[in-house]
Amino acid sequence: MSAARAPRIPVEERLFSLVLALLATEPGLTKSEILSTVQGYRQKHSPNGDNTALERQFERDKDDIRELGVPLETLDDPAASGNNQMLRYRIPRGAYELPLDISFSSEETALLTLAAMVWREGTLSGESRRALLKLRSLGGHAAVPELDYAPRIRSRDAAFEPLRDALDRAVLVRFPYLKPGESEPRRREVAPFALVQHQGRWMVACIEPDTGRRKTFLLSRIIGPVQVTTVAAERPADATAESALAALDEVWEARTALIRVVPGSDAETRLTKRRSTSVRDDGLLEIHFADLQIVADELVSFGPEVTVLEPESVRQLVVARLRRLVAAHGPTTGQTPVESSGGHHG
Amino acid sequence: MAERRSSLHATDKLAFLLSLVPYLIDRGRVGVAEAAEHFGVTVADIRRAVELIAVSGIPGETSQYQHGDLFDIAWDDFEQNDVIVLTNMVAIDESPRFSAREAAALIAGLQYLSSLPENADRGAIASLMSKLARGASSEPSQVAVDQRDTDDLLSLVSLAVSQGRQLEFDYSGVRGVVERRRVDPLRVESADADWYLRGYDHLREALRTFRLDRIARPAITDAPIAYRAADVVLPDMLFEGSPDDETVTIDIDAAAAALLADYAPDEIEPLDDGRCRMRVRVGQFGTVARLVAGLPGDPIVIAPDAARAAVSDWAARAVALYEQAPPDDSP
Repeated sequence: MSAARAPRIPVEERLFSLVLALLATEPGLTKSEILSTVQGYRQKHSPNGDNTALERQFERDKDDIRELGVPLETLDDPAASGNNQMLRYRIPRGAYELPLDISFSSEETALLTLAAMVWREGTLSGESRRALLKLRSLGGHAAVPELDYAPRIRSRDAAFEPLRDALDRAVLVRFPYLKPGESEPRRREVAPFALVQHQGRWMVACIEPDTGRRKTFLLSRIIGPVQVTTVAAERPADATAESALAALDEVWEARTALIRVVPGSDAETRLTKRRSTSVRDDGLLEIHFADLQIVADELVSFGPEVTVLEPESVRQLVVARLRRLVAAHGPTTGQTPVESSGGHHG
Repeated sequence: MAERRSSLHATDKLAFLLSLVPYLIDRGRVGVAEAAEHFGVTVADIRRAVELIAVSGIPGETSQYQHGDLFDIAWDDFEQNDVIVLTNMVAIDESPRFSAREAAALIAGLQYLSSLPENADRGAIASLMSKLARGASSEPSQVAVDQRDTDDLLSLVSLAVSQGRQLEFDYSGVRGVVERRRVDPLRVESADADWYLRGYDHLREALRTFRLDRIARPAITDAPIAYRAADVVLPDMLFEGSPDDETVTIDIDAAAAALLADYAPDEIEPLDDGRCRMRVRVGQFGTVARLVAGLPGDPIVIAPDAARAAVSDWAARAVALYEQAPPDDSP
């Protein structure tokens, strides 16, 4: 049919033409007006035939355009409510255009360029690339810093992308979560409301639908696929990324461990510089932490340069881990070494 | 999959077109090369986009895309002088808003950069974030990174560069020996919570990477800087392998395998029980203990025996400290 003879219109030309047409119309265009007149659709449109494939194309294009932050509106005709064919589409100029009073200085442009660069490896790389294009659109130049910066956030956790998707859709998710010390993961069903990175670790802040309680999960302990449901979950106004970070900071401030470090060691330099560490008069360090297991991992990695004095929970975890390392790396007997913490239990 | 990628590509191109038009309107007259540099794209990308814009428009009253319903450019200028001048505009005047996710990416990126001296003015940063939120077409997604205090060391590094003087500091390398190093700072890099300084090391007479949190007693010297960022091509990898590197075999829970990606494992071999085996390169056996001790996923060094012994000795020395020092106190 006609599609075979029609010149091939590139996808971006069709999308661009659709945005232009919908920006230019005040009352909006119906689907059939769009399909029969807009560049990229009209070439494939058949006036009396079946346009099902073209209509599906239009649905996908709408999603792609909205993904860019373009406010594509659907207006219901009150006289023919519920009639899909009478729906009108348009892009209201005020909601599309960046407000005129928003501009960025060359210092701000430089900072935002760096902020976008942070995500170059991560899952938000597409978003930050497009945000930069829009920033450049304003014509401002970035001040060039004398020192080169190459900051980078890595969101390697496989759970990040589906959780972010669930956040934007405001729906419940299910995932298997392995609590340290437990041997089997438990299935969680929660409403995620924020993804936050605290002290270098990604966490998802959630609300339990049954109890309404707020809980934070470490992405690295989500050990299976995240299932994004279609069950809607309303986000309370105070459930924000900011409040989730504040709650984590509160825990961080409240929990401390007392440790001895070897003077002049790498452990002394690094742990003294760690956030909120205080050095006591007797030379012992008081460090803060949010999670027992994480701080134990961190302290074990300093080996003989660190001795944990308090609390007993952290001390026992560290000793148990060190013993496990000794046992697992003993002389080879031809078999895979089996973990045994021998005697002392954590 | 291919379909998905090509559609992503088309939305990127659409974002580019919607961003380019207001820029061209605003500039009035701009060279192709200048526009390419401004947007960080190739000259060919700009030419293709301009050619597409020049034939695009709205259906118009006749639904026939009449001449006045289309953008137009000064073709002679474009073809002969490589200059872009829009002579007819339709539908678009201003730059598009950010999407909720785009605004969230920039806001979280700014939060992540809060330790930079350029970010010391918290009031200015807060107003920049609120501008981004106001410039988004819907409320930015709830993604955030905890903010840190401005790092005094970064301020000093930045000052050394602007004054053109070498930075010196105590640094304990992997072998545990502390040396006073003198460095021309070239670039500050980071990966999540870890920050690094890359520079020309006058002691080693080579490019070196330093962990910021391992740097002690930093000071600006009187010696002038020999190299600046623009003079040196830094390799992309933070840590480059050296011929002296040792190869060790490690077993780890498959879920935690990605954490070893920085150590360039050759291939990951799946084992039973959700474990996997890989070979990674380390500077020397002494460092492998610190590496496996701090990782989740129960990593175990399998070979060579010398590396296993290094881990076991190191951990045993640490255990001994607990056995000799009871928690109550020791003088």
